[in-house]
Amino acid sequence: MMAVKARPQARKSPEKGPKRSFRDDEQAGTVGAQELAHTNSMQGAGARPLRISIGAWRVVVGLLLIAIWTIVAYYFGDNFIPSPIETARAAVRITADGAIPSALGSTLIVFLAGYILSIIVAIPLGLFMGGFRIFGAALEPYMDALSAMPRVSFIPLIIIFLGLGYEAKICVVFLGAMMPILINTYTGVLNSDADLIEMARASGASEMQIFRMIMLPGALPYIIAGMRVGAGLALINTVVAELYTAVQGLGGLLSVYGNTFRMAPYFVVVILLAIIGLATMRTLKALERRMTRGYARGRV
Amino acid sequence: MNTHVPQAEAASLTSAAISIRNVSKSFRRAESSPPVHALKNVSLDIAPNSFVSLVGPSGCGKTTLLRLLNGLIEPDEGEILVDGKPPMRGPHMGLVFQSIRLMPWRTIRANVYFPLELQNAPLKDCIERADHYLAMMGIAKFGDAYPHELSGGMQQRAALARALISQPAFLLMDEPFAALDAQTREFMQIEVMKIRQNLQGVVVFVTHSVDEAILLSDRIVMMSPRPGQIAETLSVDLPHPRWDYDVRANKDFVELRRHLWEGIKAMVVNDPESEFYQRDRVMRSTTPAGG
Repeated sequence: MMAVKARPQARKSPEKGPKRSFRDDEQAGTVGAQELAHTNSMQGAGARPLRISIGAWRVVVGLLLIAIWTIVAYYFGDNFIPSPIETARAAVRITADGAIPSALGSTLIVFLAGYILSIIVAIPLGLFMGGFRIFGAALEPYMDALSAMPRVSFIPLIIIFLGLGYEAKICVVFLGAMMPILINTYTGVLNSDADLIEMARASGASEMQIFRMIMLPGALPYIIAGMRVGAGLALINTVVAELYTAVQGLGGLLSVYGNTFRMAPYFVVVILLAIIGLATMRTLKALERRMTRGYARGRV
Repeated sequence: MNTHVPQAEAASLTSAAISIRNVSKSFRRAESSPPVHALKNVSLDIAPNSFVSLVGPSGCGKTTLLRLLNGLIEPDEGEILVDGKPPMRGPHMGLVFQSIRLMPWRTIRANVYFPLELQNAPLKDCIERADHYLAMMGIAKFGDAYPHELSGGMQQRAALARALISQPAFLLMDEPFAALDAQTREFMQIEVMKIRQNLQGVVVFVTHSVDEAILLSDRIVMMSPRPGQIAETLSVDLPHPRWDYDVRANKDFVELRRHLWEGIKAMVVNDPESEFYQRDRVMRSTTPAGG
């Protein structure tokens, strides 16, 4: 038989203590004789063929887009819209001469550094604002004001303090990506399930345990949704920073190729940015699926 | 099996496991609105190792009384003693709610050992004991499933396992089966009766169903609304185990049921705030068609 080794809160009068608890004795065994036949049959059959057909449809859409691109390129000519083949040639050329690898490297550094920094700052701050209601309520209007404000307007100020290099760029990305993560984290904590909190409190949970074991996991889907919005904004702000501060990275190449009407390499950069965005979103979606397995049907 | 019971604990002042003395509790919906008397001058003793049901129409303070016993709220007046001490939240109280309240992000097993985890029990013990109680409730193979993958009845069995895992001296159940379908509900009632046969402790069971109260209880406390008060307490002396025979056909059962239903019906039709106020004038039969 099993017993809880330490029961710090066992509070019983000695003479009737042992008889008072819901103890299981030798006959306890299984009482679930009436097994309600209900198994988890929702998964399995059906999911797999659907996935294949979605993949096929996506390939069809991709081919369709390339076809439209080809037709439009043929109609306007390579000087306005380069054909897919011309673009592919340009991709090989500017990859071989080192322009793309070095630009991609510096863009990824700015993007990832700014984005990760925004996560590191926004999630704890949001949790803190949600956990301490007065603190959160006091900061809320300023948070809203900052999130609605075009962050581009800070760039001159950032340049004065941080110059034109990586620090300034990372700061622009950080400011851009932080707000949705902060707002979502805060909202997630505020929307925690009151019933679950009461259940935990009744079971003797401390306020810290309630925060850690109920509010935080409850806020997780909100936090990850905020991270996805933040990732998109981080990429946008990376390019903005590369255009408005020292011209470098993929944003820099956009500006150089665009201003000199070299449309084929310009298209290469545009497509590369799309691929970075796609890779980031896919990664976050995979993370979301992994971390929120049980949330599938919301509260129970 | 033995639990470590502190030897120096003071003995209870009364022989009752739970003693409620002249307790009143009121709420305000808003600052300006007049107080609603959820409970007024309620006194009740609950004997050790007994199963007590609280029945009565909506607004009679059943749930308020349960929350007072658990220490989630405190009385405005009067005194409540649980084992001779004021109510305290914690592992000695097992709770089962109508809204099942499993954490959707945890597996069934992790939901069940949650109360042990709150006391910082080692994970190995948590898992071992959770599996034991899952087996007791007949849902051992669903330990790794997530709540949404289970039916309502199995979710509620998991919630029962969670309530029992800290070996509470008191089990408080707030309309636990109200959201289940009629058939699942009957099976869950049998589960509770079987738990009662094998385990000891006080159960306080809130229900709207007169049948359920008679079926499960040693004692029934009928409460009346606005203000919440105890109208009557009755003991149920039907032979155990009650799942072995057609207890509903027993003439004592029928008599108790009629008595309780007449009482509740009178309260409801005479309550100006009830939606059925004075509806008895158009009602023909005096007994309901079903429980």
